Amino acid sequence: MGTEKGRRKEKILVVDDSEMNRSILADMLSDEFDVTEAEDGEAALEILGKSADEFSIVLLDIVMPKKDGFEVLAEMNRTRMIEELPVVMVSAETASAQIERAYELGATDFIMRPFDASIVRRRVLNTIFLYAKQRNLLSIIEAQINEKEQNSSLMVDILSHIVEFRNGESGLHILHVRTITDLLLRKVIKKTDRYPFTEADISIISMASALHDIGKIAIDDKILNKPGKLTDEEFAVMKTHSMIGAKMLEGLASHRTNPLVRHAYQICRWHHERWDGRGYPDGLKGDEIPVSAQIVALADVYDALTSERVYKPPFSPETAKEMILTGKCGAFDPFLLECFSEEFEHIREDLSKNVTEREARREIRNYAEAVRHTGGTVASERTLKLLDYERMKYNFYAELTEEVQFEYLVPENILKLSAWGAKKFGVEQEISDPANNRRLQEQLGKDWFSGLGRALQQTTPGSPEFRRDCELPIGGELRWYSVIMRVFRTDGERSEIESVIGKLVDIHDTRLAMNELKEKSIRDPLTGLLNREGAGEELPAKLANFPAHKYAVAVFDIDLFKRANDTYGHLFGDKVLTEVAERLVHSTRVHDLCARIGGDEFLIVFEYDADIHPIIARVFKALCGPVGEFDLTVSMGVAEMTEKGQGFRDLFKHADEALYACKNAGRANYGFYGESKE
Amino acid sequence: MTIQECYNALGGDYNEVIGRLKSERLVQKFVLKFPADGSYELLLRSLEEGNAQEAFRAAHTIKGMCQNLAFTALGNSSAALTEALRDGSLAGYEALLSPVKEDYARTVAAIGEYEASL
Repeated sequence: MGTEKGRRKEKILVVDDSEMNRSILADMLSDEFDVTEAEDGEAALEILGKSADEFSIVLLDIVMPKKDGFEVLAEMNRTRMIEELPVVMVSAETASAQIERAYELGATDFIMRPFDASIVRRRVLNTIFLYAKQRNLLSIIEAQINEKEQNSSLMVDILSHIVEFRNGESGLHILHVRTITDLLLRKVIKKTDRYPFTEADISIISMASALHDIGKIAIDDKILNKPGKLTDEEFAVMKTHSMIGAKMLEGLASHRTNPLVRHAYQICRWHHERWDGRGYPDGLKGDEIPVSAQIVALADVYDALTSERVYKPPFSPETAKEMILTGKCGAFDPFLLECFSEEFEHIREDLSKNVTEREARREIRNYAEAVRHTGGTVASERTLKLLDYERMKYNFYAELTEEVQFEYLVPENILKLSAWGAKKFGVEQEISDPANNRRLQEQLGKDWFSGLGRALQQTTPGSPEFRRDCELPIGGELRWYSVIMRVFRTDGERSEIESVIGKLVDIHDTRLAMNELKEKSIRDPLTGLLNREGAGEELPAKLANFPAHKYAVAVFDIDLFKRANDTYGHLFGDKVLTEVAERLVHSTRVHDLCARIGGDEFLIVFEYDADIHPIIARVFKALCGPVGEFDLTVSMGVAEMTEKGQGFRDLFKHADEALYACKNAGRANYGFYGESKE
Repeated sequence: MTIQECYNALGGDYNEVIGRLKSERLVQKFVLKFPADGSYELLLRSLEEGNAQEAFRAAHTIKGMCQNLAFTALGNSSAALTEALRDGSLAGYEALLSPVKEDYARTVAAIGEYEASL
């Protein structure tokens, strides 16, 4: 799995003037993030100025020397950095006015000092995830924009450019007017409730603004492109363009119903009206002029002033602003001038940016806003609900079964755990960069992640499952677990592991119980010795060590055991058996194997190096001796293993023969196979 | 001296800080760092020089560190001083400075004793 190469950690910028506060945050976060520190607002802006793209989030203190947190936010607003890079305030400030101000300046979240390690980590993660989601949404929307919006936008552009070409203006005028209109509209809406414009309205009005001069199509070339000042007559002709444009639009069938055409009509007709009533063609005054036309008028004037024309050089943005604000050029609503003044920096900056990029970004942002407002996910609401239900069901079962369920997303390098699993390991349910998570290393062993990697290597596209029972050192205790995993791979030839789901089930107790049962089945409950099955199971492996070790099989039974039973009762009989077993265990060594293979019949397999005879003599002696009033003796037959591969049955049969020879010879004795016959 | 005893001596709340920072090692590390922070000296110097803004920032930093470390006593006295200095006036700060001085001395002394016992 590609993750061990160490997927880049998300970078965080921590801005705080107190070294201690910075290092507390850094310590809390350095496990999962790559932390860069800045000691004041100025240093932060310097870092961001160079490499804002690298960071996923900024943690920002408020009270700092040189530049404080608010100044940093303001600057990030000015450069629009705030739209891409989330800022979480971390401060001891509790005054709600301060907090409110931070939010107004675009802060995403506010963490109050003193902070809690897990909350800080969680909030930072959440913020990063949220922004990542938003970025994804933006890219989805981008695709849709290209499909949906471009058509109508393109029509408008073509139409307006025809005018511009005739006009001899740079193709940028239309775009500039549109940009300024958009920015001013937003500002106006932010500052007042007077106009009930929605995001859709803003987008339509901005688009319609591009059509403000279409009436010029009908104006004579000679007048339109005359290098010098127009005569009164020529100017009178020129002035007709606004009404002509309106008429053109009025002729369209959709004039009354289509909002684009309706706004374009107002803009065309009234974008040369003046707030003081001295404009044309209708001499409307003040609020009689639709605000869309007022805004386009201002945008038109500003861009005309700052652009080069056949009859004039361009003015600087500052001069143009001054001319408009002081009423040297046009007459506007003081409120609108206020908006213009406040939005001036933005406007100037936006107009100097690359045109297409600016356009794309604006469209996308607008569309995203619209989706957000209109709830573009209505259609999938039901699906989401079902998914939620499934998730609840899954969680419920997961809680019940006490198993660690997990999901590992390779490209994201995120491990997700079921609630129970997270609790068991004492970690969060979502862990980014799990390989280096200290707590997991403590819980699963330092190399758990590479172990997982090795396990996953054993899967193939054809057999994506992995199942194994194994002992794992979880929580410092070696226990048996059943590991079940399934991997998901990317399509295509170079199919790589994309994600893994699976679970760890603690089977330790079950396994122990199984072992115990098995143990029981091969042991004689009375004496605790192996029974016949047990002996049969363990012997072959043992005998395989021949000839490195020598082996002999002895079979013995208790002489006259039936009589003891009959005389003293079965309980006594049990006592005798137990006693024999005890004597047997004490007289043999660990490597020897003892079993009770029938009523009073026992088996010993000796492992020895030199001579078996003295061993047998010693054991025989130990076994015999009175139990209560019963004078216990045994008869024993012994067979030595003589060749490799000799089976247990064979040996047993020989020993049994030797035993019968002993019995026939009068009991209370032992004999060796092959020797008695001699 | 245990860290808990150190907290008791300086008027802090050890349970609160360990609840938040989760690790005794971290708490110890930052507690030992505290005396080396220059904000207290900056505060005194700024007040002497009549620089209310700088004094406010220094007091604010001390307050923030105390909150992080759950140094309750010094946190409270420095918070009171911070608020007095917030509007940029130095009027009557002396009455609020002396508890800060006392608490700071107590805090640093306790940490010193704790460090010596390690």
